[in-house]
Amino acid sequence: MTHAPSKIVFVLGKGGVGRSTVAAALGLSLARRGQRTLVFEWTLAEAIAPWFGLPPAGTAPVLVAERLSVARYELDEALRAYFVDHLGLGLFHRRIVRGALGRFVDAAPGIAEMLFLGSLFWLSSLAEQEAGLAFDHIVVDAPATGHGASVLDMPTTLGELRASGLLGLEVERITQMMRDPAWTSVVAVALPEELAVAETLELVPRVARSLGRPPVLAVVNRSVTRFFAAPAPSGWLGALGAALPPDERAALVGLDTELRARARTERALVAALAGQTSDGVVSLEDVLVATGDTEPRRIVEVCADALAARVEVA
Amino acid sequence: MSARLHVLLGAGGVGKTTLAAGYALALARGGARVGLLGIDPALRLGTALGLDLGAGEAVVPGSGSLRAALLSPEETLRRWAIEASPDATARQRLFANPFFVALADRLASATDLLAAARVAEWVERDPELAHLVVDTAPGLGAVEFLRRPERIAALLEGRLVALLRRLGRQGVRRAPHGIARRVLAGVMRIGGSALLLDLAELIALAEALLAKLLERVERARRWLADPSTEILLVAAVRTDAADIAERFAAALEEVGLEPSAAVLNRALPPGLGAHLAGLDVPDLPDARALVRYARAYATQQAEVAREAGRWARRVVTLPSVRGLDGAERHAALGALGEALRAGLAARQ
Repeated sequence: MTHAPSKIVFVLGKGGVGRSTVAAALGLSLARRGQRTLVFEWTLAEAIAPWFGLPPAGTAPVLVAERLSVARYELDEALRAYFVDHLGLGLFHRRIVRGALGRFVDAAPGIAEMLFLGSLFWLSSLAEQEAGLAFDHIVVDAPATGHGASVLDMPTTLGELRASGLLGLEVERITQMMRDPAWTSVVAVALPEELAVAETLELVPRVARSLGRPPVLAVVNRSVTRFFAAPAPSGWLGALGAALPPDERAALVGLDTELRARARTERALVAALAGQTSDGVVSLEDVLVATGDTEPRRIVEVCADALAARVEVA
Repeated sequence: MSARLHVLLGAGGVGKTTLAAGYALALARGGARVGLLGIDPALRLGTALGLDLGAGEAVVPGSGSLRAALLSPEETLRRWAIEASPDATARQRLFANPFFVALADRLASATDLLAAARVAEWVERDPELAHLVVDTAPGLGAVEFLRRPERIAALLEGRLVALLRRLGRQGVRRAPHGIARRVLAGVMRIGGSALLLDLAELIALAEALLAKLLERVERARRWLADPSTEILLVAAVRTDAADIAERFAAALEEVGLEPSAAVLNRALPPGLGAHLAGLDVPDLPDARALVRYARAYATQQAEVAREAGRWARRVVTLPSVRGLDGAERHAALGALGEALRAGLAARQ
């Protein structure tokens, strides 16, 4: 089954499953197929631009490869862009939003999520007209599951507040954006490891509840089944380990056990995910295992190659 | 505070939750009263302990006196509302307020608002507590745990909340003047009048709750800054570990704190990579893949260890521990926690 990405693709998953890597790889595979793509990161540290040999990207999109740009979400800049650039309310922004309401904006929960979705709406609809920023796809590197999945609930959460005014208008816009499957979709990233599996199996139905449809795709990252499908090594490990000091031998045996356990967990995970997404499950091999590459850019490129076969563009 | 606070910070997937559970088990082993609080809305602490942690606190079986709990915004807010106000009618109105519902039920980031106060509350309720271990949310969430208390204090003590409280209590008796008028007009322009009234109602109904929240936030801030508090930056072997470490160091500096130690989790013995390079590897797919992986891992690990030394005065290296997901998980978790405890206690 191939998968045709929507305009906005949320990449969601537990912390550490490789969301940034998968987002960058998905972005790169789309860019290589002629699609102007932006990876929009809401992360602690902008990671992707440095992988391409550039300084960390700020809030303005930076081109990291042909047709592939990266930008970082920041609440302050999103507020400024909305009130000053988009609405032309410079004085209101300075005096009220960052002035009298500044402490509220800094401390109240929900505001960052609202502006995040507002920024996505703007990037995917008005940015071309207003700022000459034209993207065919925006791949969203969203926060880890706990906070990330809650972003999908924002239209409902905000809809339950009796908002009119600017917020009322924004709620209508983002609700429309999230409701349209050609506009917004979710890719769930999972790792074959106990805590990540538990979290993925909770995430998938949660997306379905929040969005009214399941994730389009599940990506099982760092797959090792090609190499470690057998439950135990065929006798060579003892001979190999004999040449090592005891602590290193134990660590090597431990690593082998861990990789075989990962392969077992992966089979169970793929089986559990069957039928839970609309376009199936894609496994991405652990590049450290498959090629031994540790350069992040190479890792992204290898993953983009693997995704290319499954991603279809209009 | 006589109890000692231990906060684990780090990116996602570095093993914070597992390590927090192990560390708490190890601290409880000598019979000390220990608390373990998970403030990640992803709620993985129960999975790590092999327990079903509901909304309340649970005693971890066989652990001496370790109690574990997850921060549930709904349970916490309702409990605090009951504690703050004996008036059941007012409480029912508060529970029906749209902002209260959003905070209690919908917004994962409500945990950022409540986490610090929940930490302070734990000691209030258990004065005999010796240690509290806090497992934070990954990445940005952990930074918010450090940064948010100051902002919450600034908000609750600020003019806006005072204005909204007055509005919620008295309604609009006469037209406000000056800055008050500008602020109210601003909120109306952004969210409309119904939203403004709901917000004012929330502030007025939750007055006692918010006062208590502020008091607890202040206490948590002092506890965080106490010299006995231990702040552990957990790192693992992953490509962006260095960038993330730098951001954490900056976030800690912003609030005037310093990490007690960096913990490099799931490390291989340092010589393994080099020794494997000299070995004859059988020409089998799994043998070649294992050695390739071990060598690539060792390369990344060396980079992360170098970075970790740059932003923390001491680095504790922990090996991978097996059996964390099996029937013997408490023994494995305890061994991991002991290793951390020993590493932190060792002179460097």
